Amino acid sequence: MKLFSKLFHQFILRHLVRERMRSIATIIGIALGIAVVLAIQMTNASSLRGFEKAIETVSGRTSLEVVGTGLGLDEGVVTSLGWLRSYGQVAPIIEGEAEARAADGRRETLRVLGVDILKDRSFREYNLLEFGAAEPTPQEFLELLIDPKAVVITEKFARRWGLKTGDEIELTFADRATRYRIRGLLLDEGPARAVDGNFALMDIAAAQWALGRLGRLDRLDVLLGDRKSLDQAEEEIRRRLPPGLKVQRPARRGAQVEKMLEAFHFNLAALSYIALLVGLFLIYNTVSISVITRREEIGTLRAVGVTRGRILGLFLAEAAGLAVIGCGLGLGLARGLSYGAVRLTATTVQSLYIATAATPEPLGMRQVLLAFGIGLPLALLAAALPALEAARVAPMAAMRGHDRLASRYRLKPILLLGPLVLFGLAWWMAGQPPVQGLPLFAYGSAVSIVFGAALLAPAVLYGLGRIGDRVLFKLFRVEGRLANANLAGSIPRLSISVAALAVSLSMMVAIAVMIGSFRETVIYWVGQTLQADLYLRPATRNNVATDAPFSPEVEQIVAGHPEVAAVDRFRNFDLAYADGLVTIGTGEFQTLLNYGSLQFKEPAEPEAGREAMRRAIGQEAVVVSESFALKFAKQRGDAVTLDTPRGSVVFRIAAIYYDYSSDRGILVMDRGTFNRYWGEPQATSLTVYLRDGADPDRVRDQLLARFGDQYRVFVFTNKTLREEVLRIFDSTFSITYALEVIAIFVAILGVASTLLTLILERRRELSILRLVGADYRQVRKMVLIEAGMIGAVSQAIGLLIGLLLSLLLIYVINVQSFGWTIQFHLPTGFLIQSSILILIATVLAGLYPARAASRLPATEQMAEE
Amino acid sequence: MILNLKNVRKRYEGGESVVEAVRGVTLSLAAGDFVALMGPSGCGKSTLLHLCGAMDRPSEGELSIEGTEIRRLSDDQLTALRRQRLGFVFQFFNLLPTLTVRENIELPLLLSGAAAGESARRAGELAERVGLGHRQGHYPQQLSGGEMQRAAIARAIIHRPALLIADEPTGNLDSGNGEKVLELLKELNRDPGLTILMATHSNETAAIASRLVRMRDGLIESEG
Ligand SMILES: Nc1ncnc2c1ncn2[C@@H]1O[C@H](COP(=O)(O)OP(=O)(O)OP(=O)(O)O)[C@@H](O)[C@H]1O
Ligand SMILES: [Mg+2]
Repeated sequence: MKLFSKLFHQFILRHLVRERMRSIATIIGIALGIAVVLAIQMTNASSLRGFEKAIETVSGRTSLEVVGTGLGLDEGVVTSLGWLRSYGQVAPIIEGEAEARAADGRRETLRVLGVDILKDRSFREYNLLEFGAAEPTPQEFLELLIDPKAVVITEKFARRWGLKTGDEIELTFADRATRYRIRGLLLDEGPARAVDGNFALMDIAAAQWALGRLGRLDRLDVLLGDRKSLDQAEEEIRRRLPPGLKVQRPARRGAQVEKMLEAFHFNLAALSYIALLVGLFLIYNTVSISVITRREEIGTLRAVGVTRGRILGLFLAEAAGLAVIGCGLGLGLARGLSYGAVRLTATTVQSLYIATAATPEPLGMRQVLLAFGIGLPLALLAAALPALEAARVAPMAAMRGHDRLASRYRLKPILLLGPLVLFGLAWWMAGQPPVQGLPLFAYGSAVSIVFGAALLAPAVLYGLGRIGDRVLFKLFRVEGRLANANLAGSIPRLSISVAALAVSLSMMVAIAVMIGSFRETVIYWVGQTLQADLYLRPATRNNVATDAPFSPEVEQIVAGHPEVAAVDRFRNFDLAYADGLVTIGTGEFQTLLNYGSLQFKEPAEPEAGREAMRRAIGQEAVVVSESFALKFAKQRGDAVTLDTPRGSVVFRIAAIYYDYSSDRGILVMDRGTFNRYWGEPQATSLTVYLRDGADPDRVRDQLLARFGDQYRVFVFTNKTLREEVLRIFDSTFSITYALEVIAIFVAILGVASTLLTLILERRRELSILRLVGADYRQVRKMVLIEAGMIGAVSQAIGLLIGLLLSLLLIYVINVQSFGWTIQFHLPTGFLIQSSILILIATVLAGLYPARAASRLPATEQMAEE
Repeated sequence: MILNLKNVRKRYEGGESVVEAVRGVTLSLAAGDFVALMGPSGCGKSTLLHLCGAMDRPSEGELSIEGTEIRRLSDDQLTALRRQRLGFVFQFFNLLPTLTVRENIELPLLLSGAAAGESARRAGELAERVGLGHRQGHYPQQLSGGEMQRAAIARAIIHRPALLIADEPTGNLDSGNGEKVLELLKELNRDPGLTILMATHSNETAAIASRLVRMRDGLIESEG
């Protein structure tokens, strides 16, 4: 052991210190890779945890909850549930969102809980500032909330907004803005801790009124007496409940959301691993370069009696050392990156999925374990190959120049066979179905393509070396020839860096093509589908999960406008289906048929689609989105069983239409059909068609003027809605680009460090050059050309492989994870721009090595002889 | 005078220890001279050649090449001087392994901006002249030691230098190959009258030179 640490110190550590630029580049590469993986993991966890924690803190001691199917439950039904009280205490709940608005225009969303305060105190802790740690008596609390315009907010929020008890606050529920009086401040305990203090408590009757949902409840919380076990009680209650009601545990809601976000999170996580993969290439690179450049030293060690095992250990220890430092730094970096990642994903998660206060999870033991648990083993794995090579070095290698005059690089056939086999495997895997809704095989296919491409790098470099001279000599004269000769002479060393850069570039290309195609598809779809002139939604309705219907007054104002030809009152909400949630929507099919247009997938001809939709009116039939059909493997004509307030009902799928607004399945039924099961729906969005010749902007302004200060409604014109759709679209993919940029940065680091090593290795050749009269500008130019060539080759491989991967992303991964059909579209402009940028970036990465090379003295070669 | 040294000294300062490898050398080479430099290992031959080859500047003393005092030249000017007026042959590693023989030979011309056609033509001619006409497209690894050395000589003279610096050019060769290399040097000294400064250990090698300079401990011991 002592010998080992001595050898490690003398042989590995000193070398790492001497080549510190490369050591640092490797460490940074690993740190970034680990940091990205952790940051995405923390970000994903934070959006879920935010939601789960909110559920958990708000549900307090609740053991079971009775919920309706989609739209809550009717208060009337509660009277028939008297028997529930034999299981324990029962408290009615209504929940919603309100937007607080300050005079200075500041806005924040509050989670509002409407409770029957007398019953609710056994379920949740309410500690008010005025009462200190003691809970107020029910009487005292009742007094606080007796006024329908009374609200209790959290002390945390009040502090942030500079509010105190007795102040007024303007709250908007759905589209109605009203002033409320703050009657108390909750201490940071119990439900007040949910969503970062953005929480308000109201009396249930006042909340129903405010939310525009008179006579409705969201659920009944049940606190079991200790008479029965939870499982048994749940089972008994389930059996006794009338149709349309369900019993579940509060955590179930979290699980449903988790299921919904699963694909989004999975894909983000998969992307984050690319940066790590590239970081590992760097480890592989560093260790193999240490081995390659020190064969003679290794031979000497072997000759003086160091065993093979020790040599293997030494190089693995080098990798482990670099990885440990990298992982440690990565942990630190992850925290910072996760803030960025949360910001980049917040819009997507909030507008497409759920509203949660997103702050990243703090670093914990979990992250530390994850960082080292992933980073260290993978680093050792990456180092295994070169370390084994080191262990195989024969003592004879100690002889000076033993392999210096080795024959020129020859292309091994395995390097062509390997990629072929891998590409074949990729082809097969691309044809496999998803595993539990996740495109695991497709990712396997992507990995095979990537490794195939990596194995192809030496062959490409070899080919380039053979034809490059002519072109480069023409372009750059003698420096071009020298650069080409250098590259051709360093194929084994360069392949790894080129492969790493090519892989991350191919990902970039694939994702750019995928996003570009997706964007074009969405633009086309929006153009086809968005035909109405105005779109309205209540101010607090940020996503489907928020139940915020319009006020009747607003609907009257809209319908009564002289230039309005028709209004489609649309309503949608989440409904539990299978393990997760789907969206149920209802509108006027006839209005849609008369004025609007859907893009049908099945039946494909527009007329047949419209006919199918027409025939669905009044029937137990639904029109479903493509993502629903793909996710649940449904065809046109299949049956779908939905839970309705009147029990399970079987609906037939009349048609399938394209929809890119959300990846959860959407089922749309005609208003008449909907009425039979859920009752008269309140609209959550209004689609307005104007008479011919009407100016949408003017009508919009007139409507807004009529709404005045009292009603807060977002009115989009066709044009602004399209912009909004693209804004959300673009923000969804900003994180993707950020991840890519990091991966490419790491890969370029790899290029710089390899070049630097090659320079050191070629000292003698460089000094010959200087001797025969190359000045430092010529040497620098030569190295920069080399760097540029590496960039160009990598980008070329990256483009090719990226196109392959994009096909996989578009036609397999997307379909399997989100259920979207995307039309292929090549973002040529972007690809050209990014290729030029990559070229510039790699040339810049060559600057430092170029400087190092041009500073070598002309007498270098003799000093060693 | 091609080369003029007056009281040239060269010190190497490596941390605490200072080595004075050349300790006051005065020497002149006229056009057409073929000078052999001899002396025991470590006496400073290579160091002196570095100075004469404008690879390094003397610590003290005057050193002029074709009348140009090199102490006042910038690094760029030294490079230009080497590129235009000097040629080099060493014991090891004279050639770039990644270039072919012809590409190696024409390198100095290309580096000084000569036209590609012209330099390729001259490289071809020289390859013929040093007996490597059939080897032009080969890589250095595919040559024998003697062939490598002849290719190195061709490269050293392609730009018609005023002075050829050779540091033990035969040190790594068997006697047969060594003789061929020396033959070639001698021929070049005759036509086109190339001035040569060559360091060597062996008396046979030194014998083909027209002048012999002996060194010991950084000083010139005798001059013939
Ligand atoms: N770059 C350097 N730094 C420090 N000392 C040096 C350096 N180059 C040479 N020396 C020292 O200068 C002295 C002369 O070296 P030089 O290489 O000129 O000897 P030489 O006569 O060429 O020997 P040989 O016949 O073995 O080639 C030696 O003591 C050597 O250690
Ligand atoms: Mg010497």
